[in-house]
Amino acid sequence: MKCKKCGGKAVINMRQHNMGLCKDDFLTWLPEQTQKFIEKYKMFTPDEKILVAVSGGKDSLALWDMLQILGYKADGLYIALGIDEGISYSSESQRLTEEFANARDLKLYVVNIASDYGTDLPTLAKETRRGRDKPCSSCGLIKRHEMNRIARDFGYDVLATGHNLDDEAATLFSNTLQWNGDYLIRQHPVLAERDGLARKVKPLFRFYEREMAAYTLLRGIEYIYDECPFAEGSTSTQYKELLNQLENQHPGAKQHFFTKFLSAKKKGLFAEPTTEIVPELHICPSCGQPTSGHDVCTFCRMMGKSI
Amino acid sequence: MRPFGSYEHKNGKITAMKKTAIIILRNQKHEVKAGSTILSALQKLKILPESIICVRDGELVTEDIILKEGDIIKLVSVISGG
Repeated sequence: MKCKKCGGKAVINMRQHNMGLCKDDFLTWLPEQTQKFIEKYKMFTPDEKILVAVSGGKDSLALWDMLQILGYKADGLYIALGIDEGISYSSESQRLTEEFANARDLKLYVVNIASDYGTDLPTLAKETRRGRDKPCSSCGLIKRHEMNRIARDFGYDVLATGHNLDDEAATLFSNTLQWNGDYLIRQHPVLAERDGLARKVKPLFRFYEREMAAYTLLRGIEYIYDECPFAEGSTSTQYKELLNQLENQHPGAKQHFFTKFLSAKKKGLFAEPTTEIVPELHICPSCGQPTSGHDVCTFCRMMGKSI
Repeated sequence: MRPFGSYEHKNGKITAMKKTAIIILRNQKHEVKAGSTILSALQKLKILPESIICVRDGELVTEDIILKEGDIIKLVSVISGG
């Protein structure tokens, strides 16, 4: 296959775009497209301070790398959850993230849940009702809480995560299967800042997961290849596989599924948020972060039960 | 000179060996026929090209390349869950 831009040897075929690209053109094209979507969706400007949530995985490291290439002021945040499960998952992903930051002289915050809260994700997974049902749910709650705390405490304008199109399409698929109206309304590449919650953006939301893997490989970025032991067999992985089967038969299906959803929202197919759907936020008396309830927030409740 | 690995002794006779390439996914090796494309090999192995990228000799390659005898293609799984 030939590169659509220069006619050289392609290293990746993006069937949804009917386009193959060589290494050099792909490594130029991807950051250019990222910049295009940052501007189109008004995610942030070069003057703003960005905090990138970095997990040591391919997507977040690729995002951090691209933001540097594009000239943004982006620092990193790694949240150590204490997942070991025989493969030293957290310590290995932390090592890779620190190596990435040190090699590029980037600022990285490391939050250690065990040191800061006296518990870790495996303990929460065993001891709390939320964790027992779904460890990934506790993980998401911890990450959202800590990302917002660090962004607020250190004065960041925006929080950026490495969610790609496959992540977004799988979430949309899940929310549609369950007709989760409130989640459907909130799902967007940009969530505006409100009531103590930092603005959240997903600059990679238009790229397929395999493009992100190709980018990290071509850029020589080492990332944690092992799956999170708690995520093995997760429903999101199953949905991604289902969507890939569809994509195989109909190139562009995943992209259309998500982008047409965004277009439909823009055209008003989904109702505007009401106070019933987006409840008023209050301040948690324990941690000072916004919460939809009048009492302590879900995060503090979960941590309190575990300690 | 006969290329190494292309012939074998069988029942006192020298016969041509099946030309093969190796595809590796998560430490599992699959022997596939050389002379066809990676895509064709993936289809036989029931691996979706959407879920992997292909690496040969450390270089990223597209699935339309024709496998040569002795090729080792490492598939990098791209799906991350959670």
